Amino acid sequence: MMIRVKLIANYREALPPEAKNGVVELNVPAGTTVYDAISRFDIPLNDESVIVLNGLTVDMDTPLKEGDMVTAFSAIAGG
Amino acid sequence: MYGWHLRILRVNLTTRKVTTEDVDPKIARDYLGGRGWAIHYMYKEMDPSVDPLSPENMLIFATGPLTATPAPTGNRYMVVTKSPLTGALAHSNSGGEFPTWMKRTGFDMFIFEGKASEPVYVLVNEDQIEVKSAAHVWGKDTHETTDILKAETSTEARVACIGPAGENLALMAAIMNDKHRAAARSGVGAVMGSKNLKAVVAMGNKNPPLHDPEGMRSISVETSKNVGADVKKGSNMRIYGTSYVPQVTNTLGILPTRNFLQGTFEHVHNIDGDALKDNYLIRHTPCYRCPLSCGRLTEVPDGPYKGKGEGPEYETISSLGTGCGVSNLAALVKANYLCNEYGMDTITTGMTIAVAMEMYEKGYISEDVIGMPLKFGDHDAMIEMIKLMAHNKGFGKDLAMGSYRLAEKYGHPELAVTTRKQEFPGYDPRGSQGMGLLYATSNKGASHMEGDVAYEEVFGVPVKENPLTTEGKPELVKHFQDSFALIDSSGLCVFVAIRYVFDKNRMIWPETLAAMMNLTTGAGYTPEEVMKAADRVYTLERMFLIKAGSGPEWDVLPYRMLHEPLPDGPAKGMVAELDKMLPEFYEKRGWDEKGYPTKEKLMELGLPLN
Repeated sequence: MMIRVKLIANYREALPPEAKNGVVELNVPAGTTVYDAISRFDIPLNDESVIVLNGLTVDMDTPLKEGDMVTAFSAIAGG
Repeated sequence: MYGWHLRILRVNLTTRKVTTEDVDPKIARDYLGGRGWAIHYMYKEMDPSVDPLSPENMLIFATGPLTATPAPTGNRYMVVTKSPLTGALAHSNSGGEFPTWMKRTGFDMFIFEGKASEPVYVLVNEDQIEVKSAAHVWGKDTHETTDILKAETSTEARVACIGPAGENLALMAAIMNDKHRAAARSGVGAVMGSKNLKAVVAMGNKNPPLHDPEGMRSISVETSKNVGADVKKGSNMRIYGTSYVPQVTNTLGILPTRNFLQGTFEHVHNIDGDALKDNYLIRHTPCYRCPLSCGRLTEVPDGPYKGKGEGPEYETISSLGTGCGVSNLAALVKANYLCNEYGMDTITTGMTIAVAMEMYEKGYISEDVIGMPLKFGDHDAMIEMIKLMAHNKGFGKDLAMGSYRLAEKYGHPELAVTTRKQEFPGYDPRGSQGMGLLYATSNKGASHMEGDVAYEEVFGVPVKENPLTTEGKPELVKHFQDSFALIDSSGLCVFVAIRYVFDKNRMIWPETLAAMMNLTTGAGYTPEEVMKAADRVYTLERMFLIKAGSGPEWDVLPYRMLHEPLPDGPAKGMVAELDKMLPEFYEKRGWDEKGYPTKEKLMELGLPLN
């Protein structure tokens, strides 16, 4: 199934060249979780990162569905 | 005494009498400094019902004990006064260099009272204080004014001043320091303008001694290293400042778009941090002694929006940009430069134009009244509106009142997205419930700078909370309000200092900040004592609001947030659920069910009972 991963700001450096506007499409097997998808990329998977599924706060072991978007950005006090 | 000078400068602009006075060490300790000292003096000396633009209003510049110390981001000051925009309290924070230079004059706080008979500026060079004519800079923008006043005083001086917007009493007028830094919100620049006070110029070499200089140096080095991702080379703040945030809030569906008609913006890629970095960024520009360096020096090299200056940061992108549906980055950058030069808060400026755009599109305000079409996304019209607002001309007279009064005047108050008449910053509370409670109860009206729970709901600092739920948010908001009151009183910047108010288990426990305060002042605070002092500051501000007529009846959210569900994004279908949170919030704060601090709470905090 096709899903998308979006990496924001400095995390974009971890994206492959075919990414557009910070988003890359991936063909992943059924049962792939949020963790599985995001761990393909060289970004910190600890308290320094925020990872959301379709903009929503979810557990990292949530299984993905066709068309889902996983987004990651670094945790920084901003705004 | 260490850390604090325990000296206040008081300037009566009516009589031009300048006095200095000592601060009671117990008051200094109980109210921390900065924002805390300011509300203590305002509550004690001023009738909260005064007209904010009358000579009776006090205008206070206040540094904290950590201002001008080695503490990372020890470079802030607060401008505290009664707001002409909200009728509530204004406490606007700024960094740069001026606050450090102000502390070096030998005073912790400047109080300006009365009204000068003609434009003046005040020069404070340690104990040499002069009220001087500002006739030659009246009408000039903040950059010209800064250059002229430095040239005629000293290149070693630093300047805080107003531009045309403050002179013309626009209710979104800011006080700019070091040209590009703003004590922006709540119309503090209009209060300065109402006093005919064009500028304050500060210089000197008087710093109070530190209680434990070696300990302070050591903790400052250690905390600089340990602020995590924020200060690592290559982190978002260093590369982008806050301009990376539109992509974050757009992902969460809480990016104010077209006056909050939507929570996502289809052209966000045109105006985000990457677009700014790739096209106009020259370099980052830190405030004094800041390891984060979130300021951006930018330049539009040619074309109709040619210019050079600082910004935009996130709040400007979400107001003048997405708020107005504007996707032309060069025009947005230019609009930011103009706001800095005219001395205007970009949030209230942008969101007021956004309301006008919606009212124009719905036919509530005609092209004849405005003088031109004013559709969402029309960046040239937006820039023209900024000019009219700053100079109080044409339709700009209506815009200069802010969105609440504008929408009310033209018969549609339900379109103004404000609390206590102040415009929302860049987080839609329908998709960040804690922010809704914060906006509704903030002592300065809608603001992210009075307890930014978006740190947890959006940014995961120090932990990621689900922004769509209301459970636990009343306590979270209370803790963040107190933490920000503490940081604002200390003289630090919230971007870094927020990490000093949590322990390693990420619970509120300001051991690091209390340690910094103790090494600086020798006051011997426990973490409980500084949190209690912050609660004292917040509650006394609430008492001021109640007496000013901006009490619990204003703890509300605007119509759109309560009755118009978000039409798009992850929070689609949601409204702000304030009623689920407000009663518990009052209880957590020690206020009664109607929102008034209880007698027991006032006694616990050592506050006056009336």
